[in-house]
Amino acid sequence: MSSRTVTARATHVLRHSAPLQVGVVIGFWLAGEGIVRLFGLPLPGGIVGLVIVLALLASRRVRTRSMRRGAQWLLADMLLFFVPAVLAVLDHQELLGLTGLKILAVILVSTVSVMITTAFTVDRCYRWRADHAGSAPH
Amino acid sequence: MPDPLLIDSALRILLWSAVTVGFYWGAKQIYRRWPRWWLSPLLVTPVLIAAVVLALHASYRDYIGGTHWLVLLLGPATVAFAIPIYEQRGLIRRHWPVLLIGMLVGSGTSVLTSWALATLAGLDGALRLSLLPRSISTPFAMEVSGDIGGIPDLTAVFVVITGIAGAAMGDIILARVPIASALARGALFGVGAHGAGTARAAQIGETEGAVAGLVMVLVGLLNVLAAPLVAQLLR
Repeated sequence: MSSRTVTARATHVLRHSAPLQVGVVIGFWLAGEGIVRLFGLPLPGGIVGLVIVLALLASRRVRTRSMRRGAQWLLADMLLFFVPAVLAVLDHQELLGLTGLKILAVILVSTVSVMITTAFTVDRCYRWRADHAGSAPH
Repeated sequence: MPDPLLIDSALRILLWSAVTVGFYWGAKQIYRRWPRWWLSPLLVTPVLIAAVVLALHASYRDYIGGTHWLVLLLGPATVAFAIPIYEQRGLIRRHWPVLLIGMLVGSGTSVLTSWALATLAGLDGALRLSLLPRSISTPFAMEVSGDIGGIPDLTAVFVVITGIAGAAMGDIILARVPIASALARGALFGVGAHGAGTARAAQIGETEGAVAGLVMVLVGLLNVLAAPLVAQLLR
């Protein structure tokens, strides 16, 4: 078997295996972490990995097909990865009393304000641009 | 004879991971049948796990020791956003000024309302400062919290509460206030509730998920860049 057919086979297998693609995504994350450590960047490694993958996709060195299934698999159950972090509340008993209720109220009211102002701003600007570009918003 | 300590930690990982994944899976099935905000898996799962942790007289340290690998997967999940962001590049290229304005307004609202409401509630000092970066994703938020004189550990807890509350409240807001464009729906979740909100947005639609993911990343960067300025203003 020539090296070309080996590469073609490997590409074929990669395009159809979600677990392998998750491995590829993890590889890019590790690369991001490595770069962050090496240069002492004040950024999370995942963000650097994301920028690397975007750059490779944009320069067409990597195709979305070689990561799409793996990425979907990771994103579909991303909420699960947050669950253990929530339990940190157990270590902060001081948050369980009145202070906790106050903080909860601040967070709830502030978050609703952020969501409504953001959505309205984007929606308005979107329509304004659509109207001024001469096409109707959809 | 293998090291008993090694067996202990292996058992811990197996037990707590099984409890976490099992409850999450169950909560997801329930939410699929009855999609109410108070049945959201991100709300139900931690409550069930906390009950087990407390019933077994275990501590948060025991629990996180067995499940830290799940939290680490947030890193690869961040990288995974490259795919939907790239696939939606046309939309993003067309609408980046709109998204930028939305991010600035949303981030400003977050910092100002947190500060004002905390003052109103009589919270001050490091506690109030720890609340300011809570609407951006954890790694960024902890960085900003340290920069402006907050307690990064506490900020991490507030970030998670914001994420759960935001993912649930986003649904309630969308059910009551009609937001026509997928762009605005995605921005709502990405700016308001970082990763947890983005995960929820990705379930609503592919465009919403891509916009939320992009906005989450950019708003985090924006805040890290603005933190020294905010620190100056607070002094």
